Amino acid sequence: MSVQRSAKPDRALAFARVFALAAPVIYVICELMNWPVFTYHPGTGRLDWGWAAAVKDEGPAMYWFGWNLSMLIGGAVVAGLASLAPGLARRLPLAFSWIFALACVPLYLYALRFYWTH
Amino acid sequence: MELVHLVMAETTFWTILLMIHGLLSMALIGALTHQAASVLRAPKAGGVGLAARFSGVKGEVYASAVAGLWVVTFLFGAWIYVKYRTYIRIPIEQEEFWKTLGAFELKEQLASIGLGLLPLYWLVWRRSSDKALQPARKWLTLTLALFGWIAFLVGHVVNNVRGFGS
Repeated sequence: MSVQRSAKPDRALAFARVFALAAPVIYVICELMNWPVFTYHPGTGRLDWGWAAAVKDEGPAMYWFGWNLSMLIGGAVVAGLASLAPGLARRLPLAFSWIFALACVPLYLYALRFYWTH
Repeated sequence: MELVHLVMAETTFWTILLMIHGLLSMALIGALTHQAASVLRAPKAGGVGLAARFSGVKGEVYASAVAGLWVVTFLFGAWIYVKYRTYIRIPIEQEEFWKTLGAFELKEQLASIGLGLLPLYWLVWRRSSDKALQPARKWLTLTLALFGWIAFLVGHVVNNVRGFGS
């Protein structure tokens, strides 16, 4: 049984392995570079494609939803492509996913230093 | 939404959503903490103490619940986040509670990064008989437990600083 399983290309694991690294990396890049897929204006309920500034007297603009969509689409596309070549994806160490995720804690503690020092 | 507001005050509605979000997150960190304990402490035969019973659970039983709870808690958080941004965050900014705001920023980033880890986390637990995936099960669980606890505690503090309806 295990021989059959190892001989078969494991596309699900290839997808998950690459998604677990690609999605957080894409999220962090989009967040730090401020590249949301869309901007939501909660005061008026309006949606703008990409990044849009808050409109005067209409409340703040929200980018977090757009960063998450960037992450999900980008991660799915990269992982989907990787699942077509599961042998290649297997070379990516699983540990990269949690090492990068854990590294995001000090990274964001530093990136958000304005809040700790203000 | 207007129909809901006929039945209850707007702040009551958002407070109920926040409480559901909080209860879901409690269930989530409960499951994650049990699972994290199980990967940290190998169960001993005949262990009957509190620590042995707490960690002596089958981690794979929790995987689908954790993944599902993370997604549902995330969605509830995203829903109330809209109200937070306008009715909670702006007054906190005016009061200059910068550390509270920074902690919330950290929470939202970690919740999103955790979301990205979920497919791999779920899959490696589904294949719990595969010994090669044991380090992945351990570290992904510990990472999600850390992120879950940070998010839970920060959310609790933010609600103490200014909750809906205050």
